[in-house]
Amino acid sequence: MDLVFDRVNKRYEHREALSDLSFEMRSGEMAFLTGHSGAGKSTLLRLLLLLDRASSGEVSVGGRPLSKVKESRIAKYRQDFGVVFQDHKLLADRSVYHNVALPLEIAGFTKRDIDRRVRAALDKVGLLDRERAAPDALSGGEQQRIGIARAVVARPKILIADEPTGNLDPQLSAEIMGLFSAFNSVGVTVIVASHDLALISRMSQRILTLDRGRLITLGGVSRGINE
Amino acid sequence: MSNSQTTTAGIGAGPRSALSAWAHHHRQAALISVDKLLREPIASFLTVLVIGVALAVPSLGLSLAATVQGEISQIDAPPQLSVLLGQDASLEDADKLRTEILRKPGIADVKVVDRDSALADFVSATGLESLVQKLNRNPLPHTLWVYPSANTRLAGIEQLQVDLGSLAGVSQVILDSRWLERLNAFTDLLRTIAMVLGVVMSVGVVLTLGNTLRLGIEARRDEIVVIKLIGGGNAFARRPFLYTGLLSGALGGVFGGLLSGAALLMLDGPVKRLFDLYDQAPSVPSLILSELLVLISIGAILGLISAWYSVQLHLTRIKPR
Ligand SMILES: Nc1ncnc2c1ncn2[C@@H]1O[C@H](COP(=O)(O)OP(=O)(O)OP(=O)(O)O)[C@@H](O)[C@H]1O
Ligand SMILES: [Mg+2]
Repeated sequence: MDLVFDRVNKRYEHREALSDLSFEMRSGEMAFLTGHSGAGKSTLLRLLLLLDRASSGEVSVGGRPLSKVKESRIAKYRQDFGVVFQDHKLLADRSVYHNVALPLEIAGFTKRDIDRRVRAALDKVGLLDRERAAPDALSGGEQQRIGIARAVVARPKILIADEPTGNLDPQLSAEIMGLFSAFNSVGVTVIVASHDLALISRMSQRILTLDRGRLITLGGVSRGINE
Repeated sequence: MSNSQTTTAGIGAGPRSALSAWAHHHRQAALISVDKLLREPIASFLTVLVIGVALAVPSLGLSLAATVQGEISQIDAPPQLSVLLGQDASLEDADKLRTEILRKPGIADVKVVDRDSALADFVSATGLESLVQKLNRNPLPHTLWVYPSANTRLAGIEQLQVDLGSLAGVSQVILDSRWLERLNAFTDLLRTIAMVLGVVMSVGVVLTLGNTLRLGIEARRDEIVVIKLIGGGNAFARRPFLYTGLLSGALGGVFGGLLSGAALLMLDGPVKRLFDLYDQAPSVPSLILSELLVLISIGAILGLISAWYSVQLHLTRIKPR
């Protein structure tokens, strides 16, 4: 699904979080979103998830203008997305398995399909052997991988992550970013917000840099310093 | 476990049909709500107890009112009127009065009871012969027993009582249905109180259960936020709470039924004694299945209303950020 931001503004009471923001992403593309703290990265992702609405301008997803999505249709709209949060947002009173199964339950999959998909997703993040564990019993990196499994288990068209490596050491962070690239390589559109420049400049994907709500690089593919 | 509703089994199997997904969600939500109730057995039991008592009290009142009123309607109505004549009235006067009363509308029969046979009856009924012998004269007047026709209502009989009392030679008219009237009024009052209590307690159930559910919603705020973030709507998030309300209400109905059943059993004796005084031999019905089902349904409906109100007020307001 293509993403189009067309002269988008987002104003909060005193400040403008996003100003005159225009860019496009093709279906199946991957991009990093970077910029200083308060630059507007989370705001941009929130508009995409309809957690908030643009003050002016239009965001379109798959050709559909989001200003036309009714409040009552937002839940359904979000089912096209997989979301990874910095704080994982795993539910403490469910096992790893049932955390990952949640999006499938919402979408109404059969028990058998849920079982197969949850195992496949856990296998992809390398944690199949922890399916019975409680999230609290896992390390931060493991929890984040469970969060990723939950984000991809329903095969979303777009994968969104806001600071997914915020609390992780460099090696784990690189592993997580590798997972995102892998999902992108099977056709999922991926947007990852991160201010870990050292990490993302080593990746080969496009980088969108925000500065005080404005887009300053429309960087195509970054140069790949380390190659 | 294979599922008969599985439609596609391939690698790319998508969500099942909307209807089957809906049914599955409901089954799932019902199971979650049972699980929730069992996880906090004491709190759940207290909630069910409160609902049970709230349902038992009005139901008991209505049952009693219905029983008593049913008995009253079976008593051979209408009752008779005893028309006491003056001490100086002769038997001929009594006969004349009898003919006069018989001409009035709504009278089935009039019987003359002369003072001597009345005294004899009194003696044989009470065994107070020695006392009567000490009297130097018969204290009883001649009496007419007036039987209103069977379809006369109580109000009509009261009017008749007034009419008869104004006839010349009549000293007093006794209507021996006062107790009936009082009982009737009492059961009416009982029924009204039961219904008012029913309404008040229903509101109480909705508010308390609604509040319990609000606490449940608050406790699960994180979960609700996550569900909404990953594409679950209000319908999905609220379903377990609706089932919790439904289930608590229905269990409250069962409990209320048991309570009022037990109370009716205990009241059986006293009510029987009351009616035995009037040659009636009723029994307070033990709680029957249909009444239990009604209580369960009312409980379930109240539970659902509480849950709906609580969810609309609290769960739909939770917006992920
Ligand atoms: N709900 C809100 N109300 C008012 N101001 C807000 C709100 N959300 C964000 N802002 C402001 O908008 C600006 C952009 O915030 P945003 O969270 O998008 O930044 P960010 O790039 O994600 O920063 P960080 O790297 O620290 O997460 C900030 O100045 C922030 O204070
Ligand atoms: Mg942010």
